[in-house]
Amino acid sequence: MAQELLQATGIAKQYGSVIALRNANLSIHPGESHALLGANGAGKSTFVKILTGVINSSAGQLSVDSVATCFSSPAQARQAGIASVFQDPALVSDLTVAQNLRLTGTPRAGFARALDDLGITGFDPGEQIADISLPFLRMFDLARALAHQPRLLVLDEITAALPTDLADRVFDSMRRHTAAGGSVLFISHRLEEIIEHCGRCTVFRDGRDVATFVPREGGESRIVQSMLGDSAGLVREEARRSSVSFDGVKPQLEVRSVAAGEQLADVSFAVRPGEVVAVVALEGQGQDTLFEGIAGAQKFDSGEVLIGGNPLSASHPAKAIARGVAFVPSDRAHALLPQRPISENLALPLFRRTRTWGPIPQKTVSAKVTRTVERLSIDTRAASQARRLSGGNQQKLTIGRWLTAGFDTLLLFDPTRGIDIGTKHQIYDLIRDIADEGAAVLMYTSELREVNLVADRAVVLYRGRMVAELAADVGDEALLSAAHGFTNTHSHSGKGATS
Amino acid sequence: MIAINPGVPTLTRLRRRHGWLAGVIVLFVVLLIIRASQVPTFGGFGLRTVFAGSLALAFLAMSQAIVVISGGINMAVGALMVFTNCLCASLMKDQSLPACIGITVVGLLASVLISTLMGWITTVSGVPDIVVTLAASFIIAGAAFLVLPTPGGGIAPDLQPLLVGGFSNPVPAIILLTLVLAGIWWPFKRSRWGIATYAIGSNRSAAYLSGVNVRITRIRTYALSGLFVGFAGVVTTAFTGGGEPRAAIGSAALLTSVAAVVLGGVAISGGTGGLVGPVFAALVLGLIPPLMLGLGWDPNLAQVASGVILILVVLFGGLLQIRRRAS
Repeated sequence: MAQELLQATGIAKQYGSVIALRNANLSIHPGESHALLGANGAGKSTFVKILTGVINSSAGQLSVDSVATCFSSPAQARQAGIASVFQDPALVSDLTVAQNLRLTGTPRAGFARALDDLGITGFDPGEQIADISLPFLRMFDLARALAHQPRLLVLDEITAALPTDLADRVFDSMRRHTAAGGSVLFISHRLEEIIEHCGRCTVFRDGRDVATFVPREGGESRIVQSMLGDSAGLVREEARRSSVSFDGVKPQLEVRSVAAGEQLADVSFAVRPGEVVAVVALEGQGQDTLFEGIAGAQKFDSGEVLIGGNPLSASHPAKAIARGVAFVPSDRAHALLPQRPISENLALPLFRRTRTWGPIPQKTVSAKVTRTVERLSIDTRAASQARRLSGGNQQKLTIGRWLTAGFDTLLLFDPTRGIDIGTKHQIYDLIRDIADEGAAVLMYTSELREVNLVADRAVVLYRGRMVAELAADVGDEALLSAAHGFTNTHSHSGKGATS
Repeated sequence: MIAINPGVPTLTRLRRRHGWLAGVIVLFVVLLIIRASQVPTFGGFGLRTVFAGSLALAFLAMSQAIVVISGGINMAVGALMVFTNCLCASLMKDQSLPACIGITVVGLLASVLISTLMGWITTVSGVPDIVVTLAASFIIAGAAFLVLPTPGGGIAPDLQPLLVGGFSNPVPAIILLTLVLAGIWWPFKRSRWGIATYAIGSNRSAAYLSGVNVRITRIRTYALSGLFVGFAGVVTTAFTGGGEPRAAIGSAALLTSVAAVVLGGVAISGGTGGLVGPVFAALVLGLIPPLMLGLGWDPNLAQVASGVILILVVLFGGLLQIRRRAS
């Protein structure tokens, strides 16, 4: 067997008590395009960061040419012949192109040649990075990596949000690079790209590598199966659905052909009172913009949002809240007051509704807060500061504060990210309870399993467009395929609740 | 072939990159002309007062600007300037010219060393620089009293005109400023170190991913800041002919240095601007008290005028930003 260019054995990474990577093994031959796949949270990005020297591994061994190495900085990895292009271009926006090249010690001539090979003209080294559009920045980043003539080129989601003509140029350069004996580690959510352009692929699941095979032979179904595993069969969890029929019920939240820049185009759907609708999408398909737009944190370019049949023109979250629209962001840090006590965190939206002048009536507030704490079974041992709560309890606070305030439209963005399984189920129950009390719930989740457990219906976003509307029990495979843009093979016309 | 989206026209680029600097220079020239028209004969003496009088502040503005560009802040520049002033004045008393030149080098080195130490502490400990440098400023201010308990000390009379010019000679002050800018700052700015300084101030994670050693770059920035503070201290000694350990001088100088940085076009969030802008801004701020005196206003109101100018200029900058984003 030929000597491997790169061999990773038993790589693990732990952040405090959170395990991001358990046991990852990967080998890359010289001259191959190798794809790295996995669902959100499978450990892909952690692995890439270790490989490129951004972070250190907790355990495991990396070797290049069978020589054990350990990179303590991106500069070291680059010297060892591993150059990477990240999803967010590592270019400093206040500097010019030429200055950014000097930062990495990239030869100007090699960079110009790489750009030329990519078929890009009109390059001006004096141009400031801030004035260049994102797709071109990705190409610049790629050209910079290529100029170092790396032995291993790591491309982390480079084609996400890249127009097709530019993406084709990336594939051309991958082909040239491997033909010249170099290797590529390619990370993408777009399965069709991997099937077409990669010789082998390795699938990560739950921080481990679970399979390595030729993607063209395995095809889409084998990839999807490896990504999901048989986790669906492992735990039989009880799915809760709405028990009432939605026929003829007027929607509480209605979104009519909203669009925003390059992120969203022509998205329309409705959520009725008592209904939980899940938004299914891969990272960065426009779901952030959709939720922030409805919540008033960002503006849509066109289209409208109706609450209870009346248009909501929320230019500010406070206006949306006044209309009973509550938004729970994915990053709890955006929603909590970490240094303040639990009671204040829960009562925060409530303060808006108490008298504006004079002291806040503590009795009413604390009665409501106590009721919420009991109902959510929040662990109050660390009541004095919200930041000392566990992630699960923090998330209960961000959802629970809207229980104290009262609302009828709830937007949840990945509510169970990074939460243990027990608390997850409490949150599922909470979401269903809220819906049963008559609220309309729109929930984005990165865990497909949750769609069947909590939602009545799923809408799928792909590259900013709504590509499918599926029944919640359609199955993980169908959901994942739809989220990857394969809508023809698994087209379901399931609308409304299944009960 | 795909052509990159039409770039920004050269003129627009020049305006964006150097427009602010040009504006500050124009402001300085206009104020200088007004000042010149206030006195019957404005010649070497008047110019010397303007340049030599604001020289220390100009160096202090440079020392603050470079730290702000790297995304930090140095609360100790004022105290460190007073300390260097006292150190030089106490050592230079009754010394010959060559000895005083040697002591000047010692003063610069001491300032660089102390500033580097602050930078090292803040990067290694992870304590925010505003806390470390503020705490250090109290210690340094106290140390100044240990070195020179009462106003006094001295300097070789021959060294004074070399650094800040004789009674009516503005040339040495201008030469010294230009020498430091052209000999230290401009080569530094164009070097990889300089680019790394801008990079960590603009986007620390992108800089790290590009292979910049963020820790060393920050410490280096503090070292350079200390060098500029050292110049401010030495120049103060030469201008006043002695040392003055009062802590209030340091505090006032610190606040003015931040004002000069903002007025000079360095974003307080880091990553943009240069040192020439803050130098001219310091000269502008130094011109305001004599101007008000000339207008027959109470020069004690100079602070009010400085504040008003600062707010107006920053508001104007904000408007420009909004316009740029809208286009």
